[in-house]
Amino acid sequence: MSDETIIPQLKKSFLFRGLPNEVLIELGRKAARRQLAQDAVLMRKGDVGDSLFMIIRGWFKIVAEGANGSELVINQSGPGETIGEMALLDRAPRSATVIASSDAEVLELKQDAFYEILDQRPDLALELIRSVSSRLRFSTTYIQKAIEWSQKISAGDYSLIENSLTLSRAEGTDEDKASQLLSAFFQMVRNVKDREDQLKKQVEKLTLQIDEARRKQEFEEITSTDFYADLKEQARKLRAQRAAQQNEK
Amino acid sequence: MSKGKIVSIHSFRGGTGKSNTTANLAAQVALAGKRVGVVDTDIQSPGIHVLFGLDENKMGKTLNDFLHGKCAIREVAFNVGEKAADAEGRSKLAGQNLWLFPSSIRGREISQIIREGYDVNRLNEGFQTVLKELDLDYLFIDTHPGLNEETLLSIAISDVLIIILRPDNQDFQGTAVTVDIARSLDVPNLILMVNKAVPKYDFNDIQKQIEDSFKAPVAGVLPLSFDLADNASQDLFSLRYPDHDWSKALRGVADVILNVK
Repeated sequence: MSDETIIPQLKKSFLFRGLPNEVLIELGRKAARRQLAQDAVLMRKGDVGDSLFMIIRGWFKIVAEGANGSELVINQSGPGETIGEMALLDRAPRSATVIASSDAEVLELKQDAFYEILDQRPDLALELIRSVSSRLRFSTTYIQKAIEWSQKISAGDYSLIENSLTLSRAEGTDEDKASQLLSAFFQMVRNVKDREDQLKKQVEKLTLQIDEARRKQEFEEITSTDFYADLKEQARKLRAQRAAQQNEK
Repeated sequence: MSKGKIVSIHSFRGGTGKSNTTANLAAQVALAGKRVGVVDTDIQSPGIHVLFGLDENKMGKTLNDFLHGKCAIREVAFNVGEKAADAEGRSKLAGQNLWLFPSSIRGREISQIIREGYDVNRLNEGFQTVLKELDLDYLFIDTHPGLNEETLLSIAISDVLIIILRPDNQDFQGTAVTVDIARSLDVPNLILMVNKAVPKYDFNDIQKQIEDSFKAPVAGVLPLSFDLADNASQDLFSLRYPDHDWSKALRGVADVILNVK
């Protein structure tokens, strides 16, 4: 990968976004190119991580282990995306297993190489801290929102779905992931509300009652007149005539 | 006497959507190829003519003229199939056999008939005459709410009585009395129809409660509809919006009428 093409690739990662171009070129030169066949394991959950990977071509699945030991794909990553940035800073165990779902090519940047650059340019540390801090703030904001909404929903207040915005962000960015979380969240609330409305509908029954004494009294008032007796007789004759006519046919 | 059936549409109280329902049922039955007449016997507060596109300017002889002996009933007939292509829904009736017998909407004539009354037997003769002369399959009678003499007459001579009620206790009480009267007068086919049901209720439950109480079939539970109110009687709703829930339920009621033996 040439020096020019490595710059936009690295800028896609939140960690490197604020770094000057000459540093990004230097990082690119220190990265090693690796080819992976389909189904090759890039990293395993629990391994000590000491490098990040930038995907040049091909796709990877991020998998966790399901309850019954089966493979559970929790995400997919493709060209341009970076995997395992945090390992450059903290060397913590990998949080998930990553497997190539096609033939793939990545650039691997080792922690040692990264530290060498930091040794030469200590001023960059501050920029990196800013990046990590802004990401942390971003995540915290959404966690706080999620807590607030959850409390509202458990209190039966679904008003938030009326104010929900349709967020559209560039794919693969942090904001895109956050907006995916949001729309999944709003969809969940809508479904819960629909089910609740359906239940309410089933529960609301109308109770219709008749005052039988009044019914009898009104019936007698109408039927006790001469007009009514006459009408009843006329109606009887009329029906008899019709029946006779029907029989003739 | 004719083979045609007299179908009276009644509700104990006003505001049930009776005229609107009558007009739409008559239109649906006419669309099914039947020869249909509609008589507006709600002389005190006529209204069904509007649904058929008939206004004061177009109105010629009326039922009032017939009842006062000023004309033959045949002269009152307004041929909807020929003259009512002025609205999107109604235009579908072009060429169908549908006649309206309107009541006068002139205040003086309304007050005259309320003051002087009329011979209900003459009304009955009128019904029998148009059934025969126009060779009708169905004569729909839009009645006045309550149980006055001309309404009792319409019920007495009906082959089919459709009672429209809203799902509320006042309508329920009044309908109970009407059902008892209809049974006392040996009306052969008694059918109930619920209109203006609020959608939050379980329609099947409403139907079951009413059928259990009155021991009579409920031909349809029609929803309360803003769309119908918005139409403001300017057109025949079930023809203009055939896919609407109200229209679908109304066609169910029309099918019940068409299947009465």
